[in-house]
Amino acid sequence: MSSEIAPPPSGPPVGPPSGPPTGPATGPPTAPPTAPPTGPPVGPPLGAPAGYPPFIAAPLTGMIAVNNVSKFFGSVVAVSDVSFAIDAGVTALLGPNGAGKSTLFRMLCGLTPPSRGDVSVLGANPRTDRDVRGAIGLVPQQDALFDQLSAMDFVSIAAESHGIDRASVPAVAEWALEQVDLADVGAKPVGQFSKGMRQRAKVAAALVNDPAVLILDEPLTGLDPVQRRRMIALFHRLGDEGRCVLVSSHVLDEVARLGSNVLVVAQGRLVARGDYRDLRGLMDDRPHRIRLGVSDPRRLATSLVGSGLVSALTLEHDHVVVDTLDVNALGRALAPMAVELGVRLTEVSPLDDDLESVFRYLVEGR
Amino acid sequence: MTNIAATPDPAPAPSSYPTGVQRGSVGNLDALRLTYGVVLGQLRSPGRIVALLLLSLTATVAGFAVGTSDSARLDQGAGVVANLGFAVVIPVVCLVFAGGAIGDLRDDKTLVYLWLRPMNRWPIVLGAALAALTMAAPITLPPVVAAAALTGVGNGLVGATIIASVVGLIAYTSIFTMMGVWLQRHIVWGLAYILIWEGFIALGGAGVAQFAMRKYTRSIINDQTGARLEGADFATSTGIIVPLLVSVAVLAIASWRLSHHDVD
Repeated sequence: MSSEIAPPPSGPPVGPPSGPPTGPATGPPTAPPTAPPTGPPVGPPLGAPAGYPPFIAAPLTGMIAVNNVSKFFGSVVAVSDVSFAIDAGVTALLGPNGAGKSTLFRMLCGLTPPSRGDVSVLGANPRTDRDVRGAIGLVPQQDALFDQLSAMDFVSIAAESHGIDRASVPAVAEWALEQVDLADVGAKPVGQFSKGMRQRAKVAAALVNDPAVLILDEPLTGLDPVQRRRMIALFHRLGDEGRCVLVSSHVLDEVARLGSNVLVVAQGRLVARGDYRDLRGLMDDRPHRIRLGVSDPRRLATSLVGSGLVSALTLEHDHVVVDTLDVNALGRALAPMAVELGVRLTEVSPLDDDLESVFRYLVEGR
Repeated sequence: MTNIAATPDPAPAPSSYPTGVQRGSVGNLDALRLTYGVVLGQLRSPGRIVALLLLSLTATVAGFAVGTSDSARLDQGAGVVANLGFAVVIPVVCLVFAGGAIGDLRDDKTLVYLWLRPMNRWPIVLGAALAALTMAAPITLPPVVAAAALTGVGNGLVGATIIASVVGLIAYTSIFTMMGVWLQRHIVWGLAYILIWEGFIALGGAGVAQFAMRKYTRSIINDQTGARLEGADFATSTGIIVPLLVSVAVLAIASWRLSHHDVD
């Protein structure tokens, strides 16, 4: 799994061009599942002499391909020079509110054109290609629905407006509502639904056309824990079936559960992509924080400080929290040190090997 | 001690998409029908209907007042129909329904559910306009025609009012549908259009006055009844054809605009 990281707060991601070939414009996706996000080469090779001609990067390809896309609203830059390509599987788009996630999603669906760059979905421009619009399932961020309609009617209209033959519409709508556990309340107006139920109705409407590409803008908002678990399982299943599922969230815990393919956006820029655990590993200039459960914390702490392996240390009554720049060296030294000191290690666990630390570093620079 | 049983996850839903589903492109008629149904449902608000019906009834009351006066003349009867029915009732009711037909969808961000579909844009616009017309016609036509009848002036005023009202309904519905697609705060712009453009321009000189729909509806009344309403000297055929051509043009512009629209 390759991961790429750009120094915060800006700078385009660097990496080799890769990614499977584009699937057909319509019909079932053919790309292998869980392909990682890929990015373009930018600029000349490291160490190249001055005047080295910048190479022309080949456009990225994938079920979704975003090439050097920017979006301006007047003088406001909502999205700035973003490039990535993704294929089948679940990819999470992580970023704080206002980072540009929804604008990026709107461009992916053709709802607004990019100011610069190209967006390609299934090899075509979603803004102009009717067939591609029919292959996208979108869960928009906004809460608004046609409140006077029942859930069944809302989903049925979505099916019909996607060109499903009228004889099949009831079966398709029933199936879609079953996927989100709303089949029992299909006759109820969506205007009477709770926030979570409305979210699920939107997901159902996005599934009716058996989309090759699913774009889900904060779809887990308002769901209870059980439904959130169910929905995440549904997204994974759809991704495993060969669909390209792109899910946005600003909630770290959600993204951690959604999968390991992560795109991180902040201030309109793509600041990292890849597996978030690998992203953490790439943050070499940041010390890793590790908790060591130990029978005699004071003795171990004294020895660790003397070894020079840790840059900071906090002593608690039954454990030590250390910061280290060389986690591998610490790992190699720890067991012999414990044996030598005659102390018993009960726990060695990273405290910041999670998405939050990655996010904090990338977005907030700390 | 309380025992709390863990809530089991709901049973897993069947995973496979139904078999044998046929998918094709969405025909224009289907797109029109779907849009019409959705927009009609959105526009059917009891409060809005009652308020606009009360507005329309003012024309009826005015017609009744003219009819019961001792000196009811053709010009007075035609004036009630033209100055209240064609200048206020029909434009305002059309503004509320037609402006909101797509404008409300855009404002509440439900437009995406129609826009992001594999179908042409013009059936969306036409379906929305027809839904607005479906709402506006029953609210305006009976009271305005009743106003014409209650004046009791004869001379074919009722027939002329029916023709002119239908023409006005179609023209204003089309114009305000386009405004709803194009402009935020379409009600404000629409009122400005009714009061400033139609109000002043329609009464202006022969040149620019041709751009006001009110001139055409008034011309139909004049031409059909022999009344002498100011600034209305077109033949009935012109009074019908020009507004209908304008309607087609503005709906085409609205369709173009919708296809180039930024959707939230």
